[in-house]
Amino acid sequence: MTKKQTILFISVVLAVCTVLIVGIVLTNGLYVRDTDIQESMQDAVLHEGDKIDLFGLMVNPGLISAYIVTGVILLFAAIVRIFVIPRFKRIPGKFQLVLEEAVGMFDNMAKTNSPHRNNFLGAYIFAAAAYIFIGTLFELVGFPWVSAAGKSVTLPAPLSDINGAIALGCLSYLVILAGGIVTNRARGLGRTLKEFSLPISMSFRLFGALLSGLLVSELVYSYLSLSFVLPVVVGVLFTVLHALVQAYVLATLTALIYGEVCEPYVKKTKGRSKEKKTRKTEVTV
Amino acid sequence: MPLNIDWQQILLHLLNFVILFAGLWLLLYKPVRKFMNSRREHYEKMDADAEKKSAEAEEKRAEYEKKLAGADAEIDEKRSAARRELDGYETMRKQAAEEEADAILVAARESAAREKERAVAEARGEIAGLVTQATEKIVLRESASEAYDQFLDAAEKSEKKDGGDA
Repeated sequence: MTKKQTILFISVVLAVCTVLIVGIVLTNGLYVRDTDIQESMQDAVLHEGDKIDLFGLMVNPGLISAYIVTGVILLFAAIVRIFVIPRFKRIPGKFQLVLEEAVGMFDNMAKTNSPHRNNFLGAYIFAAAAYIFIGTLFELVGFPWVSAAGKSVTLPAPLSDINGAIALGCLSYLVILAGGIVTNRARGLGRTLKEFSLPISMSFRLFGALLSGLLVSELVYSYLSLSFVLPVVVGVLFTVLHALVQAYVLATLTALIYGEVCEPYVKKTKGRSKEKKTRKTEVTV
Repeated sequence: MPLNIDWQQILLHLLNFVILFAGLWLLLYKPVRKFMNSRREHYEKMDADAEKKSAEAEEKRAEYEKKLAGADAEIDEKRSAARRELDGYETMRKQAAEEEADAILVAARESAAREKERAVAEARGEIAGLVTQATEKIVLRESASEAYDQFLDAAEKSEKKDGGDA
């Protein structure tokens, strides 16, 4: 870098910093919070003050987010099914490649982890991963909604609602349980019940991971001075990465345990047990 | 419920996800996977066909090589047979030539002997003739003069006789 370029770089950095500081000073009085940070964070976790009226039912904003996300995904899938898939070519274009990669990745994951039974599993982890990923990214949109109390609510990620996380965690466990019973009957049931902590761990992992992103975002946005540049980093760290990581983790865990439960039982031969016994006696001697 | 856990909302979330799962499976996952499988089957079929053709080509190549090796052996065999035949023919020709030469030689010798005999005989005849002629000449030379003398004597005698009669 030449001396002229160094001077130019420093000047630009200084100018940007000056503009930001001026902005911070000028906008200091603009943000007036209705509630304090404790209340807003408590609402983010418990949704006690921002319930939404859904056909007479008082529900959390996360459920509305879930329906919107589902609607968007299904609309996208319908458009793709009608307009794109019939025009698929043997040598794929960019969009076709993305779709094939997504489907192929989960199909391969299901086949790798559960070689004996994977048709349903592939579709399930594909749907779950798509739901987690797009649902988490939905948080970035900041879709506004009106609560039952008449307040404006920003719709959160569907899985930052504990009910959504429990639903997905328990459904994953039920899918594993069903796979185990269909494949190995009572043995499959036993194998699945052995993993009794799975629905709780899955649910609370999802809830905790996504809620942490929500809470950090709430925290950052609560202070004006933190609202410059930092939200970009926070948004990427706690939303995009969480979306990817949590989708991958749930899909992998479900596929892995489903594969273990659906693995056909192989009866141990007597010869081996005899060999083991003789070995043991040799060792004791 | 603690933490705002609500069974009704859990069921609503479940219903939502089941709808999403069914929709995604039918609209996206299944058709895309079906297309991918059909494409894979197409390329596997192409691959199998190519392998089959390759195996066939390999088989044909082996067959041709075998034929070629057979042809080489056959050519060698034919060549050696031709060589043997040629050798036999040459030997036969040589033998025939030798026999012919011998026959010619014998004939020439016989002819020469005959010629010699004939020449000797002719020479003998000619010598005999010459001798005869020479002898005759010698003999005739003496007898002719005598005869002439006799003729002349005879003629004189006849004249004398005729003159005496007249």
